[in-house]
Amino acid sequence: MFGLKEFFKKLRGVKPREAREEESPDAVRLAFTNRYLNFKTLLSTNNKVLEIITDMEQALVSSHSFGMSFIRANCTAISVNMYKIIQTLNEITVGRYRELFEVFEDIWVKIDQELKGKKIPARGDLVFPLEAVDKEMADQAGSKMANLGEIKNRIGLSVPEGFVITATAYDRLLEHNRLQDEINRRIQFLEPENIARLYETSADIHKLIINAPLPLELEEAIRQAYQDVIKKVGRGANVSMRSSAIGEDTKEASFAGQYRSILNVSPDYLILSYKEILASKYSVPAIAYRLNKGFRDEDIGMCVGCMAMIDAKAGGVMYSTDPANIRHECIMINAVWGLGKSVVDGSIAPDLFVLSKGDPKIILKKEVSTKGQKFVCHAEEGICRMEVVEKEKDDPAITDEQASLLAELALRLERYFGCPQDIEWAIEPDGSIRILQSRPLMVIGQDLAVPEEIAESKVDLPVILAGGVTACPGVATGPAFVVKTTVDMLQFPRGAVLVAMNPLPQWAAVLNSAAAVVTDRGGITGHLAAVAREFKVPALLGTSTATREIKSGDLITVDADGGKVYAGRAESLLQKASERVSLMKGSPVYVTLEKVLKYIAPLNLTDPDASNFRPQGCQTIHDITRFAHEMSLRELFAYKKEVSFPEHLAKRLVFDVPMQWWVIDLDGGFRKEIEGNTVSLEDITSIPMLALWKGITAVPWEGPPPVNTKGFLSIIYESTMDTSLVPGIGSRFAERNYFIISRNFCHLSSRFGFHFSTVEAFLSDSVAENYICFNFKGGAADHTRKKRRVNLIKALLEKFDFWVQVRGDLIFARLERQEQDFLKQRLKVIGYLTMHTRQLDMTLSNNGMVNWYVQEMLKQISSFAAIPQ
Amino acid sequence: MEDIRLLLVDDEEDFRTTLANRLKKRKIDATGAGSGSEAIELVRLRSFDVAIVDVKMPGIDGIETLRQIKQISPLMEVIMLTGHASVESGIEGMKLGAYDYLMKPCDIDELLLKVGDAYHRKLVQEERIHQAELKQEGR
Repeated sequence: MFGLKEFFKKLRGVKPREAREEESPDAVRLAFTNRYLNFKTLLSTNNKVLEIITDMEQALVSSHSFGMSFIRANCTAISVNMYKIIQTLNEITVGRYRELFEVFEDIWVKIDQELKGKKIPARGDLVFPLEAVDKEMADQAGSKMANLGEIKNRIGLSVPEGFVITATAYDRLLEHNRLQDEINRRIQFLEPENIARLYETSADIHKLIINAPLPLELEEAIRQAYQDVIKKVGRGANVSMRSSAIGEDTKEASFAGQYRSILNVSPDYLILSYKEILASKYSVPAIAYRLNKGFRDEDIGMCVGCMAMIDAKAGGVMYSTDPANIRHECIMINAVWGLGKSVVDGSIAPDLFVLSKGDPKIILKKEVSTKGQKFVCHAEEGICRMEVVEKEKDDPAITDEQASLLAELALRLERYFGCPQDIEWAIEPDGSIRILQSRPLMVIGQDLAVPEEIAESKVDLPVILAGGVTACPGVATGPAFVVKTTVDMLQFPRGAVLVAMNPLPQWAAVLNSAAAVVTDRGGITGHLAAVAREFKVPALLGTSTATREIKSGDLITVDADGGKVYAGRAESLLQKASERVSLMKGSPVYVTLEKVLKYIAPLNLTDPDASNFRPQGCQTIHDITRFAHEMSLRELFAYKKEVSFPEHLAKRLVFDVPMQWWVIDLDGGFRKEIEGNTVSLEDITSIPMLALWKGITAVPWEGPPPVNTKGFLSIIYESTMDTSLVPGIGSRFAERNYFIISRNFCHLSSRFGFHFSTVEAFLSDSVAENYICFNFKGGAADHTRKKRRVNLIKALLEKFDFWVQVRGDLIFARLERQEQDFLKQRLKVIGYLTMHTRQLDMTLSNNGMVNWYVQEMLKQISSFAAIPQ
Repeated sequence: MEDIRLLLVDDEEDFRTTLANRLKKRKIDATGAGSGSEAIELVRLRSFDVAIVDVKMPGIDGIETLRQIKQISPLMEVIMLTGHASVESGIEGMKLGAYDYLMKPCDIDELLLKVGDAYHRKLVQEERIHQAELKQEGR
């Protein structure tokens, strides 16, 4: 293609100035090149737009997740290509369709608005004391702290003193450092499924945020609020700092464990810890979680709750109902010695208390585990792991009485908030109970549980392990993949069963690609368990021996309901394993895609002859694409100007036929530089020309078929007797046929007598750019016969997959976006038709003849090309 | 394609050098510019065929750089590259005469294809103007 420059240079050198009279040959050649480029641009951009529309539509129905950057990038690509189409169309039509720009502007502006969303900039205080916070302030304090404020101030339960750093503060920090654009830019580079890239991006963004200085007034506000807490507590104190994101902890999405909490923070590290928590918005599991659940990154403001640190004697989590079985009327409590942290990250097997919901609370079940270690506050700052003294190891962390009190509180919170609750609590050394957090509990519907008759069915496979707790019911199979470190996670294959020692929250990043989860430790109140339920991934936790019994690569079936893992595929169990559903449906990102697609995908302009087929009739991007495509093709074939080329540019093709074939090489269509004014077939490398030529020469033309008198008379009647049709006279054979070629391009204009046809083709390895356009016009003979011939050609072309349009005696056919070899076959057929249909109208004295000829010609074609069935 | 005079404008040095090295493997010599103003200065001094310009740069941003390049050298083709896709800025770039507007990360082969097309277009446009001038002279 880039020999062009040399070609121009050469032209300029060779050309004597005098030759540039009237129609400069260079100008003609240039006009062709320009047209070729424009047409190529139109076709490839048109295809690109259609391709993107399909991708976007596919995203709505596929089970894969996509983020805002997917939608934004595709909308941008579509708009840019659309602009290019309109621009090019106007270039070739000299601005005839300028109003399309306005039509398009109306559409893209609407798309842009949907993408930008209606984010209301957060206004208000940077910090609120916890006493001033209630449920209605979730948009300022985040739902976690808003709920906690409600518990403290309206329900009147014991909650530590504290304050909230608001969404306004978060926005202020981002603006102050112009971070949002920078973050979005990095997110755009993410590829779904590429965990390694995800880690890199997460680390980059983390660094950006940690390095960002706080606006002075924000730093002051935080320090002041801290001093106020100290005053209330009445002693020097460290604080716990917890994320409280907007949209976190709602009924639909738990975000369990996605963001950081930092315990026992000393005043020196308030600011750094604050930024650490903000940065955890971009932790690997958090990015993956938002992507899988369709949350818009910008919609999520990070608020942070700071509360006086409780050096708990015991702590844990309780559920006001059984999340795996809503009909199971009970309250579940997990308790450990020291801080409750080890319950949520699954690192220490907790005690389990199950209590009835009625009055009085009866302990239905009590499982006390050996708790060898506990987490406690370090004297200065942070937390540390400690051995539990021997005599306490096997004692329950809470008394039965405390369990009943906790159950009472759980029920009260469930009633107050009107739905099951997931509650974090702590017991102070003096025995008083503090509520640290309460959020809606994700409860699994019965749909996931395996029906009893299936569950009871006999499985003839070896049982690898039995036991553990059902964190999320269901059955699934897949190769096991043991994850020990983050590095293992990078290699986690889609569809594998995640096997791990601890149910760490960071494993959540691969949960959506996991078939099931099996762990040695952990209980149903942990974060990973919560996310497993949300993603509906069967999860069997606390099996003790999973990592010992299962090796990576083993094909296993996990029956989370039955608490068993089998070697191999347990077909009988899998029969009714429920299908994984898209987690995205209805999510903000999903809805955004649906909305923008309304301006993009529907096609209203289906009929080019309809009255709405005009710029003003275009309502969507698809409409404009369709309209522009049609108009550009019409323009292409309105190109009636006959091509005349100066002798020195065109080479006559040496071939033993009485017709003249001239070839002009635009670029790379000849094997070598050709001296003189003839070229032989061996020197031609143009892929489409060679294919076309095969068709032209495949079946020797035996001259015109016998003409019946009426046909012949009709020619005379048309009064332009064509000598080329009469063997022996032959003067018309002097008429020239021009090939304009490049390596991948070929344009043939040929005129045989009354018939004028053009073939244009681009054949390359890039399927999206390939096309064949063929038009055929004219011919003597009367109208009826012309019509018969038109029908004949149409029938034949359609047989070979062409899209055919007929206007009067003009046939217009095209075929695009196909493999090179496929199009080569079609070009041969076109070559054949160019040669063998031109005289037909003379013989088509009745409609029956049309069918006969179609069959005859197909027979001939079959000798050099495959006939599609 | 080897004789394309290519200008790479991106404030991220990493990106610039990586791309330049990869282009070198394909026998294309590219000149780098680390900012919009540096690019504009270069375009004033030398001729380029195609520029690849990052949209988001501190100081003179990519859109403004495009505007000025087109003023100085209207036939030069400019391909915009962005890490932060936005419909509005995409259209703005096209209106200002960008040849295309691509999203990072961009496949190098796809980028090269675009560079080739842009170059081809530039040659044709130049030739058309040349022809028009000759025609004028002829009269």
